[in-house]
Amino acid sequence: MQVAIRYAMPVMFIIGSVIYGTMIIQLDPATLGNPDGPKFFPLFVCAGLLVFSIADLVNVRKQIYAKNKDLELIAQLKSFKLIAIIIGICVIYTLIFEHVGYLIATILFMGALMFYLNGMKKWLLNVVVTLVVSVSTWYGFTELLQISLP
Amino acid sequence: MDVNIILDGLWTALQPANLLWLLLGAVLGTIVGILPGLGAATGVAVLIPLTFGMEPVSALILMAAIYYGALFGGSRSSILINTPGDGSSIAATFDGYPMTKKGLAGQAMSIAAMASLIGGVMAIFGFIFLAIPLANFALNFGPAEFLLLFLFALSAVVTLSQGNIIKGFLTMFLGLGISTIGVDLQSGVHRFTFGLPHLTDGINFIVIIIGIYAIGEVLYNLLKPQYSGKSNGQDIGSKWFTKEQWKRSLAPIIRSGPIGFFLGVLPGSGGTIASLLSYSTEKQISKNKDEFGKGAVEGLVAPESANSASAVGSLIPMLTMGIPGSGTTAVMLGALVMIGITPGPLLFENSPDTIWTLINSMFIGNIILVIINILMVGMLVKILKTPPNVLYPIVLILSFLGAYTLGYSTIDFYILIIAGVIGLLMRILNYPVVPLILALIVGGDMEQNFQRAMIVYDSPMDILFASPIAIVLALLTVLSLCYPLIAKVFKRRKAVK
Repeated sequence: MQVAIRYAMPVMFIIGSVIYGTMIIQLDPATLGNPDGPKFFPLFVCAGLLVFSIADLVNVRKQIYAKNKDLELIAQLKSFKLIAIIIGICVIYTLIFEHVGYLIATILFMGALMFYLNGMKKWLLNVVVTLVVSVSTWYGFTELLQISLP
Repeated sequence: MDVNIILDGLWTALQPANLLWLLLGAVLGTIVGILPGLGAATGVAVLIPLTFGMEPVSALILMAAIYYGALFGGSRSSILINTPGDGSSIAATFDGYPMTKKGLAGQAMSIAAMASLIGGVMAIFGFIFLAIPLANFALNFGPAEFLLLFLFALSAVVTLSQGNIIKGFLTMFLGLGISTIGVDLQSGVHRFTFGLPHLTDGINFIVIIIGIYAIGEVLYNLLKPQYSGKSNGQDIGSKWFTKEQWKRSLAPIIRSGPIGFFLGVLPGSGGTIASLLSYSTEKQISKNKDEFGKGAVEGLVAPESANSASAVGSLIPMLTMGIPGSGTTAVMLGALVMIGITPGPLLFENSPDTIWTLINSMFIGNIILVIINILMVGMLVKILKTPPNVLYPIVLILSFLGAYTLGYSTIDFYILIIAGVIGLLMRILNYPVVPLILALIVGGDMEQNFQRAMIVYDSPMDILFASPIAIVLALLTVLSLCYPLIAKVFKRRKAVK
């Protein structure tokens, strides 16, 4: 697992730069000035990205068994589960944010996170923090700073 | 220089009403600066209605106080929770947050405030004596000079990732790649927007910063085995910095002030480049370079001093030529015109009282800010006493809110989440973040200047020799790239001897 994570970044960069390069070639030509003008800078960036990701891949291969405590941590199943749940809650928040409005979405989001991190036993703390944070941020942003929220 | 005009300005700045506006602006600016995503520009913009109906001088004082108040505030959240308020406070995370982890949060915040004060005061003196000549000097910067300035800043920052230069370049190119998303301003061609209108203007770098630092930090801390959900009862240490810390800080503060000031004068460079360049310079010349990134006080005070000086410097092109050098000064420019102050060369001749009142109020404001910030240390460090399982959800909510206020679109939420995961991976696999962020910030301007320079000059070689400034910047870029190699050779020779 650790080996796969080590390779993940340079491989992702290589795949990313190839996709990026393909998209650059497919860009519309400019109607003003040099038709290829909008492609020059991205092409330079793409070349740099590809060259340095390959160099990084070679480097990773050389140091594949170097000790990395953080990596040992993330490679555990429970870490994956934790990250997946937090990210999942964030994605659900994103999906409902504009539909149900800031206040309700935030109460649900904060509540879910608080109950997940603290458990049911601390229900009072979870409820109080959720309500205080959601309402005070809503009031602070919409009323005091005049920033409109859905 | 007429001393009477300066004294008149001081007298006006010391009027109770103006002092009150100064205090209010400093407090509001600090609060806005602490919130992720709400930098100085947003702070000034949302508080503009306060200036309606005010005396023009008082309005200017209030806006300037909000501006540098937000800069002070931005570094508080960097130091305490590793969440920079905006780009210019990223550098404060490098050594400020490690100091907090060592139980030196109080000292970190008080010495950072002192560094900001000294940097700001140095820049105010620079403003007094050099405003007009510097404004004229900045006019010599064309596309070639700006392109080379950005290249120099990027090369200096990549060399920060010593031992990880390949990864440094890789993340730099990633940042440049992200900066190409959106409409190409020269041709109007839509690039990599996937048909999403929100991406037409590109990805806001603040969203990426918040994602990488705030979301990434929360995920990273939740993974740690020692995470128990209880407050770690971290010792906040003394509120006051030690003599030893002061001794180590003075020279870096004095060195970084002018760097920040001169970069601030150049439109488009701003506090982020100033603070990162001063950090990189300090790291390269410091005797304690091995401590950088682990809580070196020099690594905290240098960018703070430069950032504060750059804020004062950026007012020069705005006031002398009506050219806003940053988002914040652009907002201020609009507000100034609205309240009847027309910036330009004539402002210094026609309204010297306004200018000198502003300069004096900046001086007083910096002192007020240090007092406020040191008084707030005790209150702010209580954040550290908050149990992580309460603090982390709050940090996440503030991050989402900050991202939303930047573009009013939930697309930024997706970008925030992706940036958070990438930030976590980069941290675990030791990929440097700073080259990515800086490339993201300067990438757009760099490309525009590259395209403009290619129209003006026949070949890239001509760009390098476009002017004496261009030659100096090109040499500095090469030197900066070769520095790790040169340093290695010197080290080896020393070891052989």
